[in-house]
Amino acid sequence: MTNGKSGAGRPIATAAEVDAYATAEAGPASWLPRLRMPLPRTWIMLLLLVVCGALILYPLVFLVTESLNIGDPQVFPPEELGWLNYTDLVNEPHVLLNTLLVACIATVLAVLFGFVQAWILTRTAIPGRARLERLMELPYYMTPLIGALAWGVLLGPKTGLVNQAWRNLGFGSDLFDVYSPWGIAWVMALFEGTVAFVMISAAMKSMDPSLEESSRVLGAGKLRTALKVTLPLVAPGVLSATIFVFAEMLGSFAAAFVLGIPGRFYVITTAIWQAALSYPPDYGRAAAMGLSLFGAMVITLGLAKLIMRKGSYATITGKAFRPRAMEVGALRWPLLGIAWGYIILAVILPLGALCLTSFQRFATVIISQMQFTLANYETALAMGSLAPAFGNSLLLGIVVATIGVPVIGVLAWIIYRARLPGAAAMEFVLMIPQAVPRLVFGLGLLWAWINIPIPIYGTLWLLGIAYFTVFIPLGLRTIAGVVLQVDPSLEECARVCGASWGHQMRTVTLPLLRPGLVAAWLLIFIASVRELGVSIFLMGPHSKVVAPAIVNSWLSASSELSAAMALLQTALVFVAVAILFRVARRVRGAEA
Amino acid sequence: MSDITPHADPRGTDARIEVRDLVLRYGDATAVDGVSFAIAPGELVTLLGPSGCGKTSTLRAIAGLETPFSGTIRLNGKTVWSATERRNVPAEKRGVSMVFQSYAIWPHMTVAENVAYGLRVRKASAADIASNVDRVLDLVQMRRFADRPASKLSGGQQQRVAVARAIAFSPTVLLFDEPLSNLDAKLRAEMRVELRELQRRLDITAVYVTHDQEEALAISDRVIVMNHGRIEQIGVPETLYATPATRFVADFVGAANMIEGEVTGPGRAGTLRFETRTGLPLEVAAADGRRTGSLVALRSSYIQIDRAGGAGIPGTIHRRMFHGDFIQYVVDWPAGQLIVRRPPTEHHDEGSAVSISFAPEHCVLLD
Repeated sequence: MTNGKSGAGRPIATAAEVDAYATAEAGPASWLPRLRMPLPRTWIMLLLLVVCGALILYPLVFLVTESLNIGDPQVFPPEELGWLNYTDLVNEPHVLLNTLLVACIATVLAVLFGFVQAWILTRTAIPGRARLERLMELPYYMTPLIGALAWGVLLGPKTGLVNQAWRNLGFGSDLFDVYSPWGIAWVMALFEGTVAFVMISAAMKSMDPSLEESSRVLGAGKLRTALKVTLPLVAPGVLSATIFVFAEMLGSFAAAFVLGIPGRFYVITTAIWQAALSYPPDYGRAAAMGLSLFGAMVITLGLAKLIMRKGSYATITGKAFRPRAMEVGALRWPLLGIAWGYIILAVILPLGALCLTSFQRFATVIISQMQFTLANYETALAMGSLAPAFGNSLLLGIVVATIGVPVIGVLAWIIYRARLPGAAAMEFVLMIPQAVPRLVFGLGLLWAWINIPIPIYGTLWLLGIAYFTVFIPLGLRTIAGVVLQVDPSLEECARVCGASWGHQMRTVTLPLLRPGLVAAWLLIFIASVRELGVSIFLMGPHSKVVAPAIVNSWLSASSELSAAMALLQTALVFVAVAILFRVARRVRGAEA
Repeated sequence: MSDITPHADPRGTDARIEVRDLVLRYGDATAVDGVSFAIAPGELVTLLGPSGCGKTSTLRAIAGLETPFSGTIRLNGKTVWSATERRNVPAEKRGVSMVFQSYAIWPHMTVAENVAYGLRVRKASAADIASNVDRVLDLVQMRRFADRPASKLSGGQQQRVAVARAIAFSPTVLLFDEPLSNLDAKLRAEMRVELRELQRRLDITAVYVTHDQEEALAISDRVIVMNHGRIEQIGVPETLYATPATRFVADFVGAANMIEGEVTGPGRAGTLRFETRTGLPLEVAAADGRRTGSLVALRSSYIQIDRAGGAGIPGTIHRRMFHGDFIQYVVDWPAGQLIVRRPPTEHHDEGSAVSISFAPEHCVLLD
């Protein structure tokens, strides 16, 4: 792959010689043009490939070998290989059945939420549509972990705020027990509803309104048009959203962990956690489950992509239309209520509940029994292991984002602009962490770094490396978005005007990429501060980070303290999100 | 190619741009397949052809933005690309300038910063930069927009800034890559005049790429017609129009009727006798000593139509279309149908019988 363009039958010897000649002629000061010549670039690419390949593929290789290890699970390399870990999975089907049950309920609910929101916000003329559409991004930043904690606070048996109120009204039992498959599915559905909304509203927006208009002009009524034209055109989008959400649901961890563990209800992700971190650890079983999950997700996601591509007719033109909004008359108030209802359930109510809980000694909704205090925040910021957890998460977020953005920026530029041979293969490898559930990747990293003679297991170094590895796809997608927007002729023009490669990069390329780089920095920072799946495996006693600390506090200490910690984390994330939105708006403003 | 150029012989040693045997490939596809030409100082030469004919690739190779497969490119007598000499001078060292099809105006700079870029790169003094920026912005009538962010310009204004930026550092060679194709028709016609005016006034050597034959004919000293990566014909616009060398040129440049048939012998007064497939005899001029051919190209605007009964060939007006600047007639005549363009003052009704005539020297005999 190193000689594609500069190889086959070229009458000149090598690109390096041409390079040397041009440089020699142009004088000693111009070493920079070398950078864009094929040979050194190939070396840079190879180096990056090796480093990224090691970071990404190395843990996966460990995962595969360990899953086939049927000897002593703690010995490496394995003494005996076999399929036992996989066959065990099928022999104890209750975990798989639990996973399917939760995933199915949550998918149906999430797609229902997403479809209704998408239809209301893109197709009906309700007041304040634009603002509501922006608010729809918020549930995504809430994370399933915060959602699960909040709904635990609201609907936990006996002590849940809503259940307390319910009993106080004279009912003998709880209204709803959230520590159940239904509770897990409910929390996940509220979170994934936004994802479904984004995908389905994109399908609705990309539909040319003239397709419906021509149906009307040709004499079909509203209903006939909706059934014969609108529905078939939107269906592939809805279907692929359904499959996508289902795949995400299979790999979801936090809600099942917070709401499932107390009732000993296990889905595949929590079972992996259990197998790997209980005593004695059964890494082989955990790895086998992790890889099966990975396989199932890859297949489902591939199916979603296929449906999107094959079934989408002419709706995907890349053009965004603003479909004509339907006048809904008096119906607009109930519709507005439904749209706001989702935001309230997904964001406002959970945050309110956490807030109310975090300021009380014992959480209650009975006003006469309320005892307000700041003690939980004092503990959260002072307690032995918790304050360092906040400090560590902040430090990791800043360092990983600051180092990650330039590195990923170079990768993005090489893949999407430099037109090197092998760029597609490189992109594929770099995007792998996106397809592997975070928890499974964490397991692979755990096993890989325990067995490596570099003593960084249990330190922040390993967490930093792990974060960087799993956030490569996030950074790459964000930066690629702007790299692809920058017309190559903007760069070429600088060269023709006489600028060297370095000067062009400094004066043209980097300033144009800046909004994307800032966005990538913030997104990686946010993701680092909230990271749970990898951290839970790699955190050591002296390298605690926030999300696992919150989970541990929830399982072992009080819900009031956990609520305070969760709110502190959420506040940190929302500050970063606010900056992100400002940057995004400025970029959009500059384009208009 | 016996053209009368208004400048020194471009094939001589004083050519400003010389391209020889240029071959350019993308993977297995050959975009430019052995192209050679030379351009004299102060000349504006257009590369004309349909999309994919290799004209833009040729231009980008001159600029140093594409790496050719083989051949030689010389600028001001200096070799900037040669496969055999293993020489490849990078774009920024070639001293050429370019106006891009997309304008490539940097949106994060003001108009003045855009224009000053090439001067700053060349480390010009602040006073030099200021005076040059003012001078070129005056030339394109954009001085009052100097401090405006470049992202807040209309298409036509961006076009002017792109031209100003390209000429600000006084390059010896200016390359235009379809600079007017993103403008609406009226603005395009205006800018065409302005660009030509500017190029003449500053005495810049320019290569201009376009797929618009009308634009090419109007703006150029000479036109190079390209197709499938090869040169079909090089000539001054009048020659290209009056005596196309190939069927492709006759078809692509201007509107022409293609009449199939064969040469059957000598005609009157040094002409040849050409018989169409339908057996209609025509007299065609024997240009360049050509004595054979199976095709005659006849420009639509060189054909006369008179009321029936004249000395010409009889025909009938089949359809009349009023275009404003001319009327286009579809005329039935013994050799099939003929497209004829006449001034809007000449009116013939559909269905009326007419007499068709044209001069032998306007019938261009082709292979």
